Amino acid sequence: MSEAALENVMRQAGGRIVAALAARFRDLDIAEEAFAEACAQAAEAWPAQGMPRDASAWLYRVGEHRALDALRKQRTRERLAPDPPDPEPSAEDAMVDDARLIPDERLRLIFVCCHPAVAVEARAALTLRLVCGLSVAEIARAFLLSEPALSQRLLRAKRKIAEAGVPFEVPGPELWTERLQAVISTLEVAYAKAHEDAAGTGPRAGYATEMLELTRVLGEMLPAEPEALALAAMVRYAEARRPARLDARGVMVPLSEQDPALWRRPMIAEADAYLESASALRAPGPRVLQAAVHGVWCARRGLDEPPPWPKVLALYDALLAQRDDPIVRLNRAVALAEVKGAKAALSEVDGLSSDTLKSFLPYHAVRADLLRRLGRSAEARAAYDDAIALEPTSAERLWLTSRRESA
Amino acid sequence: MQFLLLIYENEEVYGGPDKSGPALKAISGRHMSLVKELGPVRLAGAGLKGTALATTVRTTNGKQAIHDGPFAETKEQLGGYYLIEAPDLDAAIAVAKKVPLTKDGAIEIRPVIVPPAQP
Repeated sequence: MSEAALENVMRQAGGRIVAALAARFRDLDIAEEAFAEACAQAAEAWPAQGMPRDASAWLYRVGEHRALDALRKQRTRERLAPDPPDPEPSAEDAMVDDARLIPDERLRLIFVCCHPAVAVEARAALTLRLVCGLSVAEIARAFLLSEPALSQRLLRAKRKIAEAGVPFEVPGPELWTERLQAVISTLEVAYAKAHEDAAGTGPRAGYATEMLELTRVLGEMLPAEPEALALAAMVRYAEARRPARLDARGVMVPLSEQDPALWRRPMIAEADAYLESASALRAPGPRVLQAAVHGVWCARRGLDEPPPWPKVLALYDALLAQRDDPIVRLNRAVALAEVKGAKAALSEVDGLSSDTLKSFLPYHAVRADLLRRLGRSAEARAAYDDAIALEPTSAERLWLTSRRESA
Repeated sequence: MQFLLLIYENEEVYGGPDKSGPALKAISGRHMSLVKELGPVRLAGAGLKGTALATTVRTTNGKQAIHDGPFAETKEQLGGYYLIEAPDLDAAIAVAKKVPLTKDGAIEIRPVIVPPAQP
């Protein structure tokens, strides 16, 4: 059995196992450590004895024992009477498949990680660590943090959860709106990090896959929440376009120039279904409208079909009516440039407060593009320089550089 | 009359948010003797876990929002307190949301240190 096979099982079942252990023992540290020990034990036992028929059930059971051991030790340390040992699993237990053996507690764990009492900047990282099983190194890379800084952040968040009394429950309906918002925006942040890497190779490609799974779980468990469904749709639309996001030289391809023939149609169909369910529930909120923008783009069948700019503009108008913020206005300006011309769009963009947007790369990229189209070359080049100075990904940098040269 | 005495000091000396360092042990003996000395003069009192474990429910223009961390404004001053028993943080937040405020303000929630059970 290869190391890759073990890693694969740990990746796929890890979140579910950690969630089940955390829900059972109400302790994130114990769950995480128990799972790590189970994995270490598997790495030793499996190559010699072969992989068990149900690898995740094996990991869960070993993890359970490790957690009980840890709790026993903890109690002894605190000089409390030790619990009687748990009975060994029976042969019947061993036959049960993991779907029934391991309760799916991931939603509970997501709500714990995204509790409003947890520091905002720790929520996404904690969710990725515990629910998706990403390593500290992977998350640190995605969030542009050093590993010690991220570890510290995670440690602080886990401590807060353990000692401030954050409950291991999916909150009741009276708290739904408040808590669901925290969950959805956390997952949005988490996905944005995965999406930034257009090349999507290496560890982060797997991370985007985890987001597909996580949003599926959320959608399945909350089928009447349009925002949850919209998020599931959005992640799918974006992932469906991944094969078309770079050209052969590794340069970013903007959405309107991507060849729709390269997009993953089955994933788009899945996204359409989510969007349809979300729209059927009630009048569309901001996230549903944002997903609808993706939907309009992904309905394009080929480069010979005109880009859906008028529809995109109409959706951004509707979005603006609900959420007037500079980012929405900036996105709307991109569509406006195509429908009404670069001049109208530029005056809109220049009306935005550059203070809030000056560290936002797309702001400079959009301005640069509009200036270039209006023939204001020197200003365009300066704006491209501002964008490039904000450390884009290599694909984006190549694209910005080539545009700058044509300005 | 009744008075509330609020203890302010640098929490760092207690060695972490759960105050599990040696400093707490060292000082609790002194607290004990004060409690003994005060007798019926002392009505209630407890240690609080550190501000790293604080959660704040802030009300701004009538809207309540929950944040990680302690109350950190200087415009408002401590005006009272409730000591409550609640099964978890969500239950404590639910109570905090009910605490009346005349206008804007914040209710800081801090876990209370429970003395270890005697063997």
